Amino acid sequence: MLKNYFKIAFRNLWRHRVFSFINIMGLTVGMTACFLIFLYVRFELSYDSFHSKADRIYRVVSDIKTPTEVIKAGGPAWAVGAHISQDFPQIEAAVRITGDELLIRKGNIKFQETNSLYADSAFFRMFDFKLLKGNPKTALNEPLSIVFSEAAAKKYFGNADPIGQTVLLTGDGLTAKVTGVMKDIPENSQIKADMLVSMSTLTRKFNPGLDDQWGNYGNATYILVKPGTHVASLQAQFPAFLERRNGTEMKKLNMYPSLILEPLKDVYLRSTRDGSKIGNINNVYIFSLVAAFILLIACFNFINLTTARSAERAREVGIRKVVGAAKGQLISQFIGESVLLCVIAFMLTLGAAALLLPGFNYLAGKTISTSIFENMHFILILFLASIGIGLLAGVYPALVLSSFKPVTVLKGRFATGTKGILLRKGLVVAQFTISIALIIATIIVYNQMNYMRRQDLGFKKDQMMVINTNFDPAKETFRNAVASLPNVKSVAMSSSVPGSGNPGAYSEIENKKGDLQIANLDLYFVDFDYIPQYKIKMVAGRAFSRDFQTDTTQSMILNEAAVKMFGYSSPQQAVGRRFKQWGREGKIIGVMKDFHFRSLQEAIKPLSMRIEPRGCNLVSINVSTQNLPKTIATIENKWNSLIPARPFSYFFLDEFFDKQYRTEERFGKLFLNFAILAIIISCLGLLGLASYSTMQRTREIGIRKVLGATVPNIVNLLSKDFLKLVAIAIIIASPIAWFAMHSWLQDFAYRIQIGWWIFLIAAVVAALIALITVSFQAIKAAIANPVKSLRVE
Amino acid sequence: MIKIAHLSKWINLGNIRNFILKDIHLNIAEGEFISIMGPSGSGKSTLLNIIGMLDSPSEGDYQFLDTEVYKLKEKQRSTLYKTHIGFVFQAYHLIDELTVYENIETPLIYQNIKSAERKAIVADIIDRFQMVGKKDLFPTHLSGGQQQLVGIARALVAKPKLILADEPTGNLNSKQGEEIMELFTKLNQQDGVTIIQVTHSEKNASYGKRIIHLLDGRIEKTETK
Repeated sequence: MLKNYFKIAFRNLWRHRVFSFINIMGLTVGMTACFLIFLYVRFELSYDSFHSKADRIYRVVSDIKTPTEVIKAGGPAWAVGAHISQDFPQIEAAVRITGDELLIRKGNIKFQETNSLYADSAFFRMFDFKLLKGNPKTALNEPLSIVFSEAAAKKYFGNADPIGQTVLLTGDGLTAKVTGVMKDIPENSQIKADMLVSMSTLTRKFNPGLDDQWGNYGNATYILVKPGTHVASLQAQFPAFLERRNGTEMKKLNMYPSLILEPLKDVYLRSTRDGSKIGNINNVYIFSLVAAFILLIACFNFINLTTARSAERAREVGIRKVVGAAKGQLISQFIGESVLLCVIAFMLTLGAAALLLPGFNYLAGKTISTSIFENMHFILILFLASIGIGLLAGVYPALVLSSFKPVTVLKGRFATGTKGILLRKGLVVAQFTISIALIIATIIVYNQMNYMRRQDLGFKKDQMMVINTNFDPAKETFRNAVASLPNVKSVAMSSSVPGSGNPGAYSEIENKKGDLQIANLDLYFVDFDYIPQYKIKMVAGRAFSRDFQTDTTQSMILNEAAVKMFGYSSPQQAVGRRFKQWGREGKIIGVMKDFHFRSLQEAIKPLSMRIEPRGCNLVSINVSTQNLPKTIATIENKWNSLIPARPFSYFFLDEFFDKQYRTEERFGKLFLNFAILAIIISCLGLLGLASYSTMQRTREIGIRKVLGATVPNIVNLLSKDFLKLVAIAIIIASPIAWFAMHSWLQDFAYRIQIGWWIFLIAAVVAALIALITVSFQAIKAAIANPVKSLRVE
Repeated sequence: MIKIAHLSKWINLGNIRNFILKDIHLNIAEGEFISIMGPSGSGKSTLLNIIGMLDSPSEGDYQFLDTEVYKLKEKQRSTLYKTHIGFVFQAYHLIDELTVYENIETPLIYQNIKSAERKAIVADIIDRFQMVGKKDLFPTHLSGGQQQLVGIARALVAKPKLILADEPTGNLNSKQGEEIMELFTKLNQQDGVTIIQVTHSEKNASYGKRIIHLLDGRIEKTETK
C-alpha cells in the first residue's frame, strides 16, 4: 500500500511539475530562511556559554551617584577587583581586564595590536580560554608577560616556539617575555583579544598604585563565586565593603558608587552598559519571530496550494472510494504526500542553506557557523520539524480531499461550494498581513538609517583623515610636517574624534547658584585648530585662541547640554564661570553648539573641551579630494621617516562614524531579505488561491463572456476579490507594524516620525504585487474560449 | 440477492418535493443480467448508485444478500460492497497516474490482500483479458475500448458477485461496445456474475435477460426474455 502511495505521489508531483515546483520552492525558501535564522539565534544565545564555570561568573558593574547624575559604568574602580576576593571568602577569584592598543615589535616585524587586553593572572582559571603552550597558572603573573593568540604568535614567530622569546612592547621598547600561546578566542565570546598582557604590567610598571585607586574607573571586573553562593546576599554586602575600604574618599569626592552583579551569560545580550551593547536580545526576539512568521507563511501556502488542487484530485478520490478505499486510508495517503513534499523540501533546504551560509555569515558580519553539518543534531531537529510541518500542513487538505462524495465527483460536475473558502481567504489575509508588516518595518528601518546618515551632526566629517599617534613623542613634529603638505587644508590634534569614545572626568563646575557642582563630564582634549577645523559653532563666548596665554591651562569650553545641566537658562550666563577638572582650574570661556559626538542612538551628553597637548594622540587631517592617493602616500612617507617604530594606519572620519550603525545596517539588510522572501512565498500562495478560484468560476466566466463581458471586465471581476483581501491585510498589518516599529525606534534618541506615507507605500507595493499575481491567472481565464468551459460532459 | 421495497428518493426544492425515484420495488436473483433503460432524468443512475451503496434513498428498504443494508454501520456497509460489488463507468474512471497493472491492483490493496497473492490474481486477470503487453502503459495511452476493458478488469479483480455498469459503452463506438457486451454476457453465463447495467441503447439493453424501463422515477414496465 505504501509503495502504491509513493508511486502515486511521485507521479503526481511529476505530472504537475510547475505546481509541485511552486509548492516545494515555497517550503524550501521558508525552511531555509528559518534554518539560517535558527543558526543565528542559537549563535547569539551561545555567547560565553562555552565557559564551564559560566554559571558562577559575574561581571561587576557600578552605578556611581554624583550630586548631578547617576553614571552607569561598565566596571568598578580599579581597586575593587584587586581587593574584593580578600574580603569575601565566597569569591574564588577576581579578574580585571581592560583593552588597549599596544605596539609590538620583533626585529623588523611591527604591529599596532589594536585588540590587546591587560588581564589579571586568574584569567585562565576563571575562563575556559585554552592555553596551548605555557602554564595557565603563572602565565599572567609577572609584569611584562605576554600571551599571544595562535594567529598573533604566527605573525611574529612563524612556526617557531614563542615560549620564552621576547618582543618589544610599546613605543618605549620594553622587553616583554612570551609566557603562553592561547587558542584563538572563539567568535561567540564577549571577551575578545589577540594578545593578553599581565595586569601587573599596568598596575606595577605603567601605572603604579592603580590597585589602590578607589575613584579611578576604566576596567571590566569579573568574579568567580564558589558553588552554592547566594548572589543576592553577596551583592547586599557590597555597600559595607565599599564603606569600609573607601568611606572617607567617597565623602570627600561626593561620589557614591554601588556594585551590581551581572551574570556572565547575560552580559552580551542583555546588558546596556558601555562596551557591552554588542548583542541585543530584542534583535534575537525579532528574528525568531520573523523566522516563525516565514515558516507560517510557507505552511499556509502549502495548505492553500494543496487544497486549490483538490478539484483535480477529486476524481481520483472518487475512484479510490468506489474501489474500496476507506476515509482513513485516503487521509493517510494525502498526509503521506504532504510529508513527502516536506522531506523533499528538507533536502533542498540542506543544499540551499549550505550554499547560502557564507553569504549569510557575511550579512550577519560574523561567522555564525562554518558548515551546516557542524551540528548534526540540528539537522535531525530540522528533519523532524519538516515531517511535523508535513503532518500539520497536510491535515486540512487531507480532510477536505478525503471527504469528497464519490457519486458527485464522479459525475464530473465538481462544486465544493463555499466550504473552506473562508479558511483559505483567512490564510491569504494572514500571509499578506505578515508580508505587509515586514515591508513597513523594512521601510522604517531604512528610513531611520538614512536619517542618521543625512542628519546634520553639527561638525564636519567629510575629507577628515584621522591618524592615531599613540602618544609617540614625535607626534608634534609629524603634525607640523603634515600641515605644510600641499592638498592638506588644515591639521588638528585631539584626544578624541566623534564616534571614537572619550574619557569622562571628575569635574567641579560653578552652577547657576554659584556653587561648584560635582559631575562626571565627558572630556575632549583638543588643540587650537580643532574647533575651526571641525566647524563646530560657538553660541556664546569665544573659541580657544593662541592670542590668550591662559587658554592652554585655565580655559574650558562647554556644550549647550552641559550648560543646561548646570542650570543656566542661556549659554551666555555660563561664560566666565569657574571650573576644576583633573588638576586644572580656571574659567569657562565659551559655549559651543551641541554636536553629535556619539551615535544618534544616544542623546547628546554634556561635554567639556580643554587645550591639553599632552593628552592629544589623534591627528585629524582635513585633506583636499584632489589627488587623494598621492596625498595619503606623502603623509605615509612623513610618518615612516618621523615615527619609524610604528606601523602607519589611518581612517576616514565619515566611514568611522557610520560604523556605529553597522549593527542597524545589518539588521536592516537582513530584514529586507526576509521581507522579500515573505512576499515571494505569499505571492505563491496567492497564485494558488487565484488559480483555484478562477477554476471554480470557469463556468461563470464562460456565461459572462457569452453575455458580452470583455476581457478587462473579467479580470476586474476576479482581481477585485483578492484586492479586498489585501486591503484587509493592510488594515490589520498597519497598526501592528506601527506599534512594533515605534518601540524599535525608541532605541534611537534621534529618530524619524513614522509618516502615513510609509503605510501608503507598503499598501501600494503589496496591492501591486498581488494584482500582478492574480491578473496572471485572471487574464488566462478571461481569454479562454467560453465554448469549452460551458460544454457539460 | 437484491430485494428493494418501497424505495423513494426525493430532493426538496422550496416546498415542493421533487421525486427522483418513487416507490420502487425490485427483486434481483443471483446470476441475472439486467438492463435498466429510460430517458435522461428518469432516475437510472440514481437507482444504480443506491444499489451500489454509493448513494442512499430518502425512504425504503434494501436487502443485499439477505442483509438489511440500512441497518448496517457505515464500515460494515463499506466492507459489504467492497467485497461483493464491482463498478464500471461510462467515463472509465481509471487513475491516470497509475499503470494498467496498478489500476487493476488497487481494489486488492484496499482489501489488504498480501502482495504475492495480489500479483497472482492480477496476473491471472490480465492474462484473461489479453492485456499482458499493455500492463505497464498508462491509461492515457490506451483507446477508449481498451480503457473500458481495464475498467472491467478492475471491477472483476476482487471477484465480486455483482457488477454495476453505468452506461459502460456510452463513450465507445459500436464495435467496441459490442465487444464489451459480449464480455458481459460471457461473464454472466460462464462465471455466474450478476450484472446490472444502465444503458440508452436498445441494442445493448437486449443483451440483458430482463429490461427495466424507468420513467420519471417509476418502473414503467419490465420485459423478460
